[in-house]
Amino acid sequence: MIKIENVSKSYIKGKKSIDNLNLEIKDGEIFGFLGPNGAGKTTTIKMITGILNTDEGDIFIDGKSIIKQPLEAKREFGFVPDSPDMFLKLKGIEYLNFLADIYEISNEKRKERIESLTKKFEIYDNLNNEMQSYSHGMRQKIIICGALLNNPRNWILDEPMTGLDPKSSHDLKEMMKEHSRNGNTVFFSTHVLEVAEKLCDRVGIINKGKLVFVGTYEEMKEKFKENKSLEELFLEITENEQ
Amino acid sequence: MNNKVISLTRVIFKNSFQNMETAKSKTENKNKRKIGMIVLYSLIFIYLAVIIGVFSNGLIKELIEINQEQMFLGLILITIAGFVLIQSIFSAINILYYSKDNEYILPLPIKPSEIVAAKTNVLLITEYFIITIIGLIPLAIYGILTSANIFYYISMLIVLIVFPIIPVLLSSLLILIIMSFAKFTKNRNRFQLIATILVFIVVFALSFTTSNTKTTPEELVKMVTEANGLVEILKGTFPTLGMALNGLTNQSVINQILNLSLLVITTLIVYVIYIVIGQKLYLKGAVGNLYSGKRTSKKIDETKMYKKSSLSKTYIGKEFKTLLKNPIFFMQCVLPAILFPILIIGLAFAGIKGEQNGAPIDFANMITDKSSIYIGMGILCAIQFFLMFIYISATAISRDGQTAMFMKYIPVPLMKQIDYKVIPNIIMTTFMSILTIIMVEYLLKLPIMYLVLITIAGIIMGVFQSYISIIVDLKRPKLEWNSEYAVVKQNMNLIWPVILGILNITLIVILTLVCRSFINSYIFIMFITVMYLLLIFIVRNYIKNNVNKFFEKIY
Repeated sequence: MIKIENVSKSYIKGKKSIDNLNLEIKDGEIFGFLGPNGAGKTTTIKMITGILNTDEGDIFIDGKSIIKQPLEAKREFGFVPDSPDMFLKLKGIEYLNFLADIYEISNEKRKERIESLTKKFEIYDNLNNEMQSYSHGMRQKIIICGALLNNPRNWILDEPMTGLDPKSSHDLKEMMKEHSRNGNTVFFSTHVLEVAEKLCDRVGIINKGKLVFVGTYEEMKEKFKENKSLEELFLEITENEQ
Repeated sequence: MNNKVISLTRVIFKNSFQNMETAKSKTENKNKRKIGMIVLYSLIFIYLAVIIGVFSNGLIKELIEINQEQMFLGLILITIAGFVLIQSIFSAINILYYSKDNEYILPLPIKPSEIVAAKTNVLLITEYFIITIIGLIPLAIYGILTSANIFYYISMLIVLIVFPIIPVLLSSLLILIIMSFAKFTKNRNRFQLIATILVFIVVFALSFTTSNTKTTPEELVKMVTEANGLVEILKGTFPTLGMALNGLTNQSVINQILNLSLLVITTLIVYVIYIVIGQKLYLKGAVGNLYSGKRTSKKIDETKMYKKSSLSKTYIGKEFKTLLKNPIFFMQCVLPAILFPILIIGLAFAGIKGEQNGAPIDFANMITDKSSIYIGMGILCAIQFFLMFIYISATAISRDGQTAMFMKYIPVPLMKQIDYKVIPNIIMTTFMSILTIIMVEYLLKLPIMYLVLITIAGIIMGVFQSYISIIVDLKRPKLEWNSEYAVVKQNMNLIWPVILGILNITLIVILTLVCRSFINSYIFIMFITVMYLLLIFIVRNYIKNNVNKFFEKIY
């Protein structure tokens, strides 16, 4: 479970990039975080993961405060950042072993996890190559494998479908569904509204740092009394807020 | 030079330097910060200028006393040639072949010669920054102390602008030739590393053989007794050095103009040859995916594949892999630790050993004498001097670039990660200190106990330098870069290890002068060791107490 309480953040004095954000993503839920470019999605994700400090408020991962108990909170999630260009001089296997050591994963467990994840994403045969030689999609896949290696209860994914081929994208969506079915949490940002519409239990729409809608697609249609697609409703909500 | 070259030069240059100050400054008042940076760098410049100025002033006055002041001009020009030559070996390969802008430039309708010209311009402009400090200031002081006329100053500017061009072109030319064979190699990273070391050895060997010109004792006596005769020794050491020196010192103005014209024409001819060769060779090395590492379907050894390691081992291992697998980082951060002690001490003592017919100079009996404190001071200053060029700590955060935020979302305390990032620097400085001591022992015969103590002092100084250097990077990390070259070369942060190094050397010298009359060399070394241990404790605590604040700007 991820709980965001009264969180605000300013980069420039007097201008809030995130304004009093309150949000709770429950266990067993896939939550899609939507918003136009520069709305505050990545800033929110960076605050959830402890990369950015909040100016006000607190964030809890499975009840552990990212501010007061950062190390405990960080053990509770797996994170996929928006850019997969990380540690490119390392081989795929070196990167995964590095993460496995950080999360103190045993030899047997890491063998099982690395094999199952990398075979699922079809990068097992490339594990002995430097990540520099990987395509954008392959880098995205290895970063996802790394984030899921310690089987965290909470997945936090920033634009995870970017660069994935159709099969990998499909597999990841299936994994997200399975993870939530097991009572875990998936929080991800996306620009692909079709994905959010089909995959998410609930969506949150952020615009200019303010959460302008939280709920299911059905609730959104209900609220606006219109039988439109998510894309049309999204544009309507974000344009009305301009 | 056509508009395309000028425009390309401007773009490449601005792109390299655009993020000179810090990662992101959304939260800060940019104008205030900009003014602060200008003031800071001006102060640094003044500080270095004063040190070089004081040194030059002393040396010129000494040389005037013995009627050999022109020797100073020769020494400065040879320093510029050597410095530019060696610097541009490292820089040329990176700017010409390994900068990410190649991905955008190569598809544009620009001739290879124009790309080579623009990139060489950038290389040269970067060198001019340093030449301002090591060339302009000493030569201007020379002018003042010798009451030179206005023509000297005009010649000085021409020489400072034109003279460094050939060393840059020579290094770049060697790189162009060697890199044209790059297509025959599978592992370009390794090739780049070998190519650079090869060029380095060739240049070093050439300069060593040319500087080893034999002078008979009779000739030497004549040179010393004749006013400004000694400078003749230097004229043959670099092709255009004679022209530049005559352009600055010749008694008749006509002769000076003639020599300067010769310098300009020679440089122009070399430039044209360089551009013609660049047109032919550049694309052979540049085309192809320079960034792709080796990609094979090599199966992995499953027995070794899933081996659990301790966090410290895996983290430090990751740091070393990044340093060793990246030729630019390896050459700039690791290689100096190995090369500098061997080259500099080796060269400095080669002459002395020659005088002693190859036998080590016996200092064993002198070491207990109070005046022997200077031997300790000399060795510690030498170690401190080499420490200034090991940039592993000073670039520890910047090397990660945008990946640096990884440190913030993994469940490992930040201070622990800083310790892990500092350890490779400590390992290399320890290696360097031991190597320096071995070199010194080979050349001077010192007692074992003394060697042990001084080795410990050197290692402790290395630990101190490692921690203090990472503060520089933590305070102003350079996280947005488009080539590794920007981290180690176009990074103003790296002036700080030099400044701190000079301060440390000054401190050691002052302490020696204060302590020389009442303690011997052994106690002095132990005192220095304890002092640096204390400083390490203070600096590490400072980092620990401010670690979260330091990381606020990394996101």
